[in-house]
Amino acid sequence: MITKFGKLLGVGALALGALLGTARAADTVKVGVLHSLSGTMAISETSLRDVLLFTFDEINAAGGIKVGGKSYKIEPVVVDGASNWPLFAEKAKQLLEQDKVAVTFGCWTSVSRKSVLPVFEKNNGLLFYPVQYEGEEESQNVAYTAEAVNQQATPAVDYLLEQGYTKFYLLGSDYVYPQTTNLVLLEYLLSKGVPIENIGGGFRKDESGKIISAGKYTPFGHTDYQQIVAEIKQFAAGGGAAVISTLNGDTNVPFFKEYAASGLTADTCPVVSFSISEDEFRGLPADQLVGQLGCWTYFQSINTPANKKFVSDFKAWLAKSTVPGIVKEGRVTCSPMVLSYNGVYLWKAAVEKAGTFDVDAVREAWKSGISFDGPAGKVTTQPNMHLTKNVYIGETKSDGQFKILQSFDNVYGEPWLKGKFK
Amino acid sequence: MKFLLRLFCALACSLTLSHAFAAEDETPRQTLARAILAENAATKRTILGSLVGRADEEVGELLVAWRQDALFIYTTPDNTRIPVRLIGPADAAGTHAAVRVIDGEPLTDAAGAPLRLDKGDLESVDHNANLRRAMKAVLDLIDLGAALPAKRIQAIKTIGQSQDAEKLPAIQARLEIETDKNAIVALREARALIMLKSAKDEDRLEALRELKEVHTLSSTDFIKGALSDAQRRNHTQLTNAARAALNAVDLHRAKVDFFGTLFRSLSLGSILLIVALGLAITFGLMGVINMAHGEMIAIGAYTTYVVQNIFGSGLALSPFGISLSLPGINSSGWVYQSYFIVALPLSFLCAAFVGILLERSVIQFLYRRPLESLLATWGVSLILQQILRLTFGANNVQVSSPIYLSGNWTVNDILFGWNRVFVICFAGLIVFGVYLVLTRTSLGLLIRAVMQNRGMAACMGVRTTRVNMLTFGLGSGLAGLAGAFLSQIGNVGPSLGQSYIVDSFMVVVVGGVGNLVGTVISGLGIGSLDQFIQQYSPALASAFATVPFVGGFLQNLAQDSAVFGKILVLCGIILFLQWRPAGLFVTRTRSLD
Repeated sequence: MITKFGKLLGVGALALGALLGTARAADTVKVGVLHSLSGTMAISETSLRDVLLFTFDEINAAGGIKVGGKSYKIEPVVVDGASNWPLFAEKAKQLLEQDKVAVTFGCWTSVSRKSVLPVFEKNNGLLFYPVQYEGEEESQNVAYTAEAVNQQATPAVDYLLEQGYTKFYLLGSDYVYPQTTNLVLLEYLLSKGVPIENIGGGFRKDESGKIISAGKYTPFGHTDYQQIVAEIKQFAAGGGAAVISTLNGDTNVPFFKEYAASGLTADTCPVVSFSISEDEFRGLPADQLVGQLGCWTYFQSINTPANKKFVSDFKAWLAKSTVPGIVKEGRVTCSPMVLSYNGVYLWKAAVEKAGTFDVDAVREAWKSGISFDGPAGKVTTQPNMHLTKNVYIGETKSDGQFKILQSFDNVYGEPWLKGKFK
Repeated sequence: MKFLLRLFCALACSLTLSHAFAAEDETPRQTLARAILAENAATKRTILGSLVGRADEEVGELLVAWRQDALFIYTTPDNTRIPVRLIGPADAAGTHAAVRVIDGEPLTDAAGAPLRLDKGDLESVDHNANLRRAMKAVLDLIDLGAALPAKRIQAIKTIGQSQDAEKLPAIQARLEIETDKNAIVALREARALIMLKSAKDEDRLEALRELKEVHTLSSTDFIKGALSDAQRRNHTQLTNAARAALNAVDLHRAKVDFFGTLFRSLSLGSILLIVALGLAITFGLMGVINMAHGEMIAIGAYTTYVVQNIFGSGLALSPFGISLSLPGINSSGWVYQSYFIVALPLSFLCAAFVGILLERSVIQFLYRRPLESLLATWGVSLILQQILRLTFGANNVQVSSPIYLSGNWTVNDILFGWNRVFVICFAGLIVFGVYLVLTRTSLGLLIRAVMQNRGMAACMGVRTTRVNMLTFGLGSGLAGLAGAFLSQIGNVGPSLGQSYIVDSFMVVVVGGVGNLVGTVISGLGIGSLDQFIQQYSPALASAFATVPFVGGFLQNLAQDSAVFGKILVLCGIILFLQWRPAGLFVTRTRSLD
């Protein structure tokens, strides 16, 4: 009898607990953060975790997300992908199936995105992806806040063509993003009337003679750029040449050291790099990169009140942050960080418009076109899950910042570019 | 009213236009000041264009200052706008002395006292890419008379490549007084390139003949252009001349490629050699499979980093949460540039010290157990990496190259980078040094005795523990030297050693374990093989293009020639070791059995 009563009591307590639990959970919404916090990519991806946590705090302090007359605080669930692509899929599964997050912000490399994609599609989750990528993809479960090729690579080429450059050497790290981007660039350059012999780096053809790879590629961690720089030097000897570099990460250091030692300069043969932002600059010899070009949808040097506020708020947040191991000195802001920041606000706006956290409704709200005035100006969501945004061309300075040379306003994000330029 | 407005606009326009061109009696400085104050970029460009050929060095300096954002517009209390250049260092209030662009006189207030200005209060003078090009056109003609030959040559080349007939007289005039050999070649090329654009066929023929004689690599594209043009017009004489010029250039290019590759081989070989030399002692002579060799290299590189910062503004570190601040001596100029010279012996000593610690604490117990030494040193390597990560952070650190290591000599279009020349000499020196130590000193004698037969040497009264310790220290120190050098050409990060450990073992094993001469030959050999394959794989691929299967395979690989070189070298080494398992030079000693 007593045991029965005890059981009953236990059940009652459990029910009460569950009731209380749901009551409390109703005030928060779980949001996943899926970045590499260890391993080779940690250097870049940790900054994105930092800016995401900052944004969540900012939104929570301003009253949270208002849905159906209630306001929800964001509760981040941070997991570590550890620069291990299969692990990314495992962690994504955990976020979606166990933690049941409403949305996930994450991934840097294209291979990690490809790895989590099936998980998001199977569970109908929503991933916000913030880093420039190669396109040729349009999943209904990914919101691409990232730069598509026509929001980074082709504007940069437009700028170079306008400056009178006529020869282009394509150089990249050997993986999917540079390979695809260079193929699109090849088509784009040819469509602009640049003859094929003015495109350097070499081509690889299949049996039918169709070009399947353009440009010169080096593996990750490559250190000996003597031969390639000698080739570029000959390529650039006749003037009017520029290098389009999709070299990733720390291979830029030996490349630029060799480039500088060979007597090439930004005046004789500029290098436009798509993977060097303010954040990567922290590990590069800035004095050897002065005058080289970058192209992003945000630069820290953008001189607007909105951007100044963003930078100073982020630094103030860093200073009093208690996140274990967070780096506080010498921090900068860069394009992937701002695209993460914009992503959170766009998601908030979509949720508030839809009036629910339900992924399908949020997606419909996204597709209807939502705008947000971010640090780099207005961004607007598109029906193809990408963003319309401003694009800036910048020139590197010795302090690791970019001087903005030109801007393109409201560029429509277009993922399908292969075969588009004829 | 509307009509009046239009009339007024038209008048204003014509005024600005006439203002833009009526510049005959102006000094170049006045023109520049006018350009700065002009309303829009297009007018500025037109005015700058009128400076071409008239500007002197002073104006050139001002243009450079403009480019570097050092020009400003000062607005007087009565709203006159005066372009100024800020000079000298900022004082305590953050103000600089100011000089007027228009006449180079110091800026004064109404009472005649010099004014000091703060950058923040002034209107900055902007520039865009088109303006910078207009400035460059002005500067190039000024630079034609520059004192430095390199600067002169750069200007000549730019003028030549612009193929602007108006600049031909300037080139001609310079050619008559030029004495520098390379500059003369550049001038002849520039003259020929400009003439190549001429409408007259005789001029073009003459130009092509000249281009054949100077056969510069930079003229390739222009000759190709002329060739296709001549072929389209079916002009036999021009076609032949262009072909001859192109052949001369191609022949020259083949020579440049060959000798360039030879030099690059030597430099890559030297790097491999420097990296492997320490291992040739710890692994080759002592028989310790030292997986922590890479970390000794990293220690050398980080020592260079620390020394650089001490010569600069100091360094704040927080190893294991203890904050540690190294003061800097804030040197500049040549004192700062010499940090690398100081860093070399220090990186040797630091790595040697860590090596000796390692030998005393771990390796001395494992001399007879090579497999255990492999595991133990691998563990040590992980620990060292983590210590570096905790001390200096996971990010790569910046090591800047001193001036004397970041330039090049260009002889006959072949590039000799100073850092590469340095590494070759450096490799030669340390190999010679190690040779002297091993063969000409009593320590060397003891080392050789102990390494050949530890037990016997001990019986003869040699203090083997001490010799072991010193030998391991020497090997580690050499790795540290390698690290100091690698900091000049690549990344410095906690995993620096990982990227060189495989190469090091490869060189030592191919050379023959226990043999220094073998290490030298295999280092240089592997370096050359790699570079020559990289250089000639496209040629190789096209030679075999028609062969089924192999042709396509080679062509695919040729594009990734950097990877291709590595793969072929590794395949070659595997085959070589099948044939000679003990390497190039076989050393037979009892201790190595």
